[in-house]
Amino acid sequence: MQYELRTQVIEPIRKTFTHLVERYGDRPASRYEEGTIGLQATEHFHYRPLWAPDKELYDPAYSRFVLTDPYSFTDPRQLYYAPYVTARSQLHESFGKTLDYLESHNLLARLPEAWRQLLTGLVLPLRHYESGGQMISSNACRFAYGTTIAQCAGYAAFDRVGNAQILSRIGLALGGGTTDALAEAKAAWMDAPALQGLRRYVEQAMVAGDWGVEMVALDLADSLLYAVLYRHLDEVALLGGAGSYSLLAQHLAGWFADQRRWVDALYKAWTADPQTGAANAEHLAAVAAEWLPKAQAAVTQLTAAIDELVPDAGAVGAVAAAADSVTASLAALGVTVSAQSKEESA
Amino acid sequence: MTATPTRPARKLSMKARYSALTRDLDWEPSYVSSAEMFPYTSFEGIKIHDWSKWEDPFRLTVDAYYKYQAEKDKRLYAVLDGFAQSQGHLSLSQASYLNAMKIFLGGVTPLEYQAHRNFAFLSRHFNGPGPRFAALCQSQDEIRHAQTEIHTLSNYNKYYSGMHSFLKQHDRVWYMSVPKSYFDDALSAGPFEFLIAIGFSFEYLLTNLLFVPFMSGASFNGDLPTMTFGFSAQSDESRHMTLGLEAIKFLLEQDEDNVPIVQEWVDKWFWRGYRVAAIVAQMLDYMLPKPVMSWKEAFELYFEKQMLEGLFPDLEYYGIKPPRHVQQAIDEKEALSHFVYWVFYNFSFAANFTTSIPSTEHQAWLAENYPDTFVEYFQKPRWDKAQRIVDNGGRFFFMGLPQLCQVCQIPMTFPEPGDLNTICQRTSDYNGEHFNLCSDGCKWIFDREPEKYVQAWLPVHQIYQGNCGGPTVPDVLAWYGMQEGDGGEIAGSRDEVNWAAWHGTPAAKEA
Repeated sequence: MQYELRTQVIEPIRKTFTHLVERYGDRPASRYEEGTIGLQATEHFHYRPLWAPDKELYDPAYSRFVLTDPYSFTDPRQLYYAPYVTARSQLHESFGKTLDYLESHNLLARLPEAWRQLLTGLVLPLRHYESGGQMISSNACRFAYGTTIAQCAGYAAFDRVGNAQILSRIGLALGGGTTDALAEAKAAWMDAPALQGLRRYVEQAMVAGDWGVEMVALDLADSLLYAVLYRHLDEVALLGGAGSYSLLAQHLAGWFADQRRWVDALYKAWTADPQTGAANAEHLAAVAAEWLPKAQAAVTQLTAAIDELVPDAGAVGAVAAAADSVTASLAALGVTVSAQSKEESA
Repeated sequence: MTATPTRPARKLSMKARYSALTRDLDWEPSYVSSAEMFPYTSFEGIKIHDWSKWEDPFRLTVDAYYKYQAEKDKRLYAVLDGFAQSQGHLSLSQASYLNAMKIFLGGVTPLEYQAHRNFAFLSRHFNGPGPRFAALCQSQDEIRHAQTEIHTLSNYNKYYSGMHSFLKQHDRVWYMSVPKSYFDDALSAGPFEFLIAIGFSFEYLLTNLLFVPFMSGASFNGDLPTMTFGFSAQSDESRHMTLGLEAIKFLLEQDEDNVPIVQEWVDKWFWRGYRVAAIVAQMLDYMLPKPVMSWKEAFELYFEKQMLEGLFPDLEYYGIKPPRHVQQAIDEKEALSHFVYWVFYNFSFAANFTTSIPSTEHQAWLAENYPDTFVEYFQKPRWDKAQRIVDNGGRFFFMGLPQLCQVCQIPMTFPEPGDLNTICQRTSDYNGEHFNLCSDGCKWIFDREPEKYVQAWLPVHQIYQGNCGGPTVPDVLAWYGMQEGDGGEIAGSRDEVNWAAWHGTPAAKEA
């Protein structure tokens, strides 16, 4: 039984903004659509950038990856600011609860020594990798063509500082409330041989210049790192009496699953574009051929050190498996990473 | 298994913790050079010796940011939903109040979006992690503002004219090139100039004249959603203001050689922003059925008192003087809004808002607030004449095209200093071509960077060149995406007619 509440009804004269009616038909638009589609200007720029006089302020030519219609890509998560901050607020709250639990039960201190070293010496330093990821993503947010891509990249940039913060908070906890473990991790990032490949990789990716190439390079490294550190090692940790590692890793693994959703959709949009798809696919193949072996070498260097600490970890093998999986998912898009380049990395 | 004995947890200070979670993420690259990593921070001549001297203006960790912002948005969207469900738009002061919001959505919202994109640029390309993180947060805030403004006004768009094509119109409609070119100017500059242009000048120096008057207008005129948005954005804006102030102090403290560069930017961006504020001035004085305060009063309080008497004495310590041409702005305060609304009254047939002769009561308010200028210079020679035309069954529109200033892009309407009866006209020649400027301020800006301003996309020139849909007014209006009811006279307009029908009152005839 429902009571009958009478409300004043006034027929609206239109359902949404004209550019959305033109694109999607005469239907009400979602808040994602109203707050996203077409926001970036595409015409009548008044001045050329002083620092790039050959380009417009927004210009598809900032990348070799081009969409004929930039809005053929939309975020499968439909994230605009409000749901974005709400989702991330939950992620960090849930991480905070995990960390509180670990701290209140003194579980980090009870990690097996090898896992403690692994965490401090090899995982915590990746807070700097995340910071590099922020800068790459911020660059994409500025230079990507069209609001849908720029918005995803912009949130991803902030996510990276969030991921770094998750690692840093673990570091603060490991340091008993001091920054000692973070300082140790930073020194390792700068000098430990196991990490230099990755640091070189991210520094080189940051200066690649083409925001699309930078994002793909970052994603290739992410795909290996996240698969091994936060998924594969998660399993290993559970078997090896390092349950706290698993509890922490789940949050970063969860983030990466979310990140993949839009990155995969972007790859799909690039390669499926009726006009530029073939060129994009070729370009993606070239970028993967150049960067995937480098990523694999860098992450293998890191995981070799993991295998030394935890002999049964199988981390190096997991990197190879992750690289195969990247190659397979690219192949599913019609992007063939040349065999030669794969051999070079082996 | 070695259980390391736990040390007693030492609490880090807020500052140390914030630093560990943000700027400590930075490292000195060694596989690529610093010049490769930061290619954009040397060409402007700004010298930074120690980036770590940047004082973080707000110490918000990422988790705290998410939590706080998510809570704010939850409250804001609850208000928007409730307002939509209850047909809250019917309790506005008048339908014509929304003219202010039509200008806001088309003129300001796209700027928020531009700020989002370029603060992202700074969050990649500044060498120091402190300013990078501050810019990153502001970049997030700015997309919030763009989106929440759209969502706030989306419900009005369903019932009223003039908002449906705000993005296209931002890029095409003649007066929209004023705010658009202003922001394009900032984005096309280097990262330090952008920081002074937007971070300092827009967000700090002029924010109470450029942004806040729309929110106050909303509050006075029953626009609950926009007012709620305004309050919801307030804590973001206060962070942005603090950042703007820190930005200028940081640049000035780093090297004495920065002072003359920053001074010129302050001079330029004051005048650029002030000219954009001319549109806000006419909104404050003419478009609000229930006025908040006059432009003159706002200018005196928010600029002369708070900035000239409050901020600039502090900046003097660094060798910074009040903006060049500030006296011209002070001299114009009695006349600025009147000139601009008169232009809008003349050309609203080609705009996304409607205009009308101010009511008798409203003219009395204007006369009271502008005792030295309104009656003599605007009421008698302009509005009385326009009224006679209306009394005879007409409505005056100026069907030609105005000459635009090459820098601010406002039609040439502003007076000679000290002479309200003469239109100020300055010219500069560059590469054998002749350019018109509306004021000494705009001429000075043009002459500093003529190679930049000659590129401007001037709407009137573009119409003459045949780039705007065709040679006739209907051609151009179609190209603007205008629909019946968007522009023209308030009396008898589609919004007025609907408003009257919704309220069960007879529609006002052509006044």
